[in-house]
Amino acid sequence: MSTDVFVIAAAMIPFGKHRSSSYVGLAVPPLIDAMKGAGIEKSDVDAVYVGHSYGGMMTGQRICKEIGLGTVPTVNVDNACSSGATAIHEATTAIAEGLIDVAVVIGVEKLTQFGGGALPLSPEDREVKQGIIMPAVYAMRATRYLHDFEATSEDLALVSVKARRHGALNPFAQFRTEVTLDEVLNSRAVADPLTLLMCCPTGDGAAVVILVSERARHKLGATSAMRVAASVLHSGHVEEGFRDMTKPEITYDSARDAYAEAGIEPKDLDMIECHDAFSIAELVYYEALGLAEHGHAVDLLRDGRTTFGGDVVVNPSGGLLAKGHPVGASGVAQAAEAFWQLTGEAGARQIENARWALTHVTGGGTAGLDHGACTIHIFEAA
Amino acid sequence: MTTTTEALVSEPVPDLDSDSPLAAFPEGPRLVGTRCDVCGVTMIGSRVVCSSCVSREVSALALPTTGELYSFTRLHGRGGDIRPLGYVDLDGVGVRTLTDLRETSPLVPGMRVELGVDGDDWFFAPASGV
Ligand SMILES: [Zn+2]
Repeated sequence: MSTDVFVIAAAMIPFGKHRSSSYVGLAVPPLIDAMKGAGIEKSDVDAVYVGHSYGGMMTGQRICKEIGLGTVPTVNVDNACSSGATAIHEATTAIAEGLIDVAVVIGVEKLTQFGGGALPLSPEDREVKQGIIMPAVYAMRATRYLHDFEATSEDLALVSVKARRHGALNPFAQFRTEVTLDEVLNSRAVADPLTLLMCCPTGDGAAVVILVSERARHKLGATSAMRVAASVLHSGHVEEGFRDMTKPEITYDSARDAYAEAGIEPKDLDMIECHDAFSIAELVYYEALGLAEHGHAVDLLRDGRTTFGGDVVVNPSGGLLAKGHPVGASGVAQAAEAFWQLTGEAGARQIENARWALTHVTGGGTAGLDHGACTIHIFEAA
Repeated sequence: MTTTTEALVSEPVPDLDSDSPLAAFPEGPRLVGTRCDVCGVTMIGSRVVCSSCVSREVSALALPTTGELYSFTRLHGRGGDIRPLGYVDLDGVGVRTLTDLRETSPLVPGMRVELGVDGDDWFFAPASGV
């Protein structure tokens, strides 16, 4: 990148079922808190990037007008589960290219508007017409993974147990209670072999981060910060025939590019927030993100190497499984978690001396694609 | 300023008129596929452009009725109904299809399956003899 880009503030509301709040009601409080945290005024903001998938027309403008923030460009971004992270990517690119100095990035989603159940996908899609839903996609990935490798339903449950244990330490998490292996295995069957507690919950949320150039950081005197060491966005590539669902190439490719851009290796990471929308995903992404060889993710999980005290803490926030997954908000919430971890503000779930963090969201159910979009960021304490 | 050519008028594709996965062919009801006349790639459904070479010279064809079950799940509805769903890699054409499944014998990834048609419904089930 031409100019270093820094995150100098983060704020979010606890994820959950906020039935009385609109997109505006969800997003305005963290917007105000993040701007206050960054020490910026409305007049300092050069552009606003807003990730959401179901907010409807002008979601960003509806939010910003409530605090009288206008005139500057507001860009609304839809990339399904990668919407928020795509907004960060766009802000990062604009700052790195020297086009702007201060960007506000908002991720927001209100899933309770749908009343529960699986995420609504595009009715124009061939497989959606046939009845595909995201739990089915991940369940088929799980069936094949358990068939191909030495992994069991207990391993899938263990991912959820870890997520909930982490989430119990996080005041921003939708689920803040631990669960046992038996509770996960015996919860309602959703899509074999996935049970309800192996699926992320339906909820609402909003998160905001403030990104600035090195020049703006200096001018604002922001001492608490993290540097954007890599910002990668990939789209899915169509495959008409065979695809190995245990090896999602969109994440493998994005990870390769992100490590190259940051100049680090997987072993350098202190934490990862990955797209654990369903418990099988975390196992598959250990491999895609380079922590384990293909088919060997369960070794890391069983040995506790991806929890506190291990090699790298995966989803210290509780991840999508415990913190929740308001689609467009998740990518920004992951960046917020990285910010708090790298600046020592993560409280009970603080990873000691954390320096490097990776965040990863991928999503969108589209026939012929592994996923529609994948975004990976690597951040360094700065 | 003068030009010797006029701007090309792009035409929309009436893809909503032809989106039924199953159609009648001389050999019987079959899943509809499309083959690229230029590069030979086969795709699922009624398509108007090749996703590989971008040629618009494509032809409809009947897809094979047999294949290998790549993976599957059973969706559990709130009312207790169970819907088995899977991906099948059709024999010899490089095409994968999502399909409803009938569990006439226990489902296993990699097993041989074949197309079944029951009125307007179509599905794959373990191949006879499995
Ligand atoms: Zn072609």
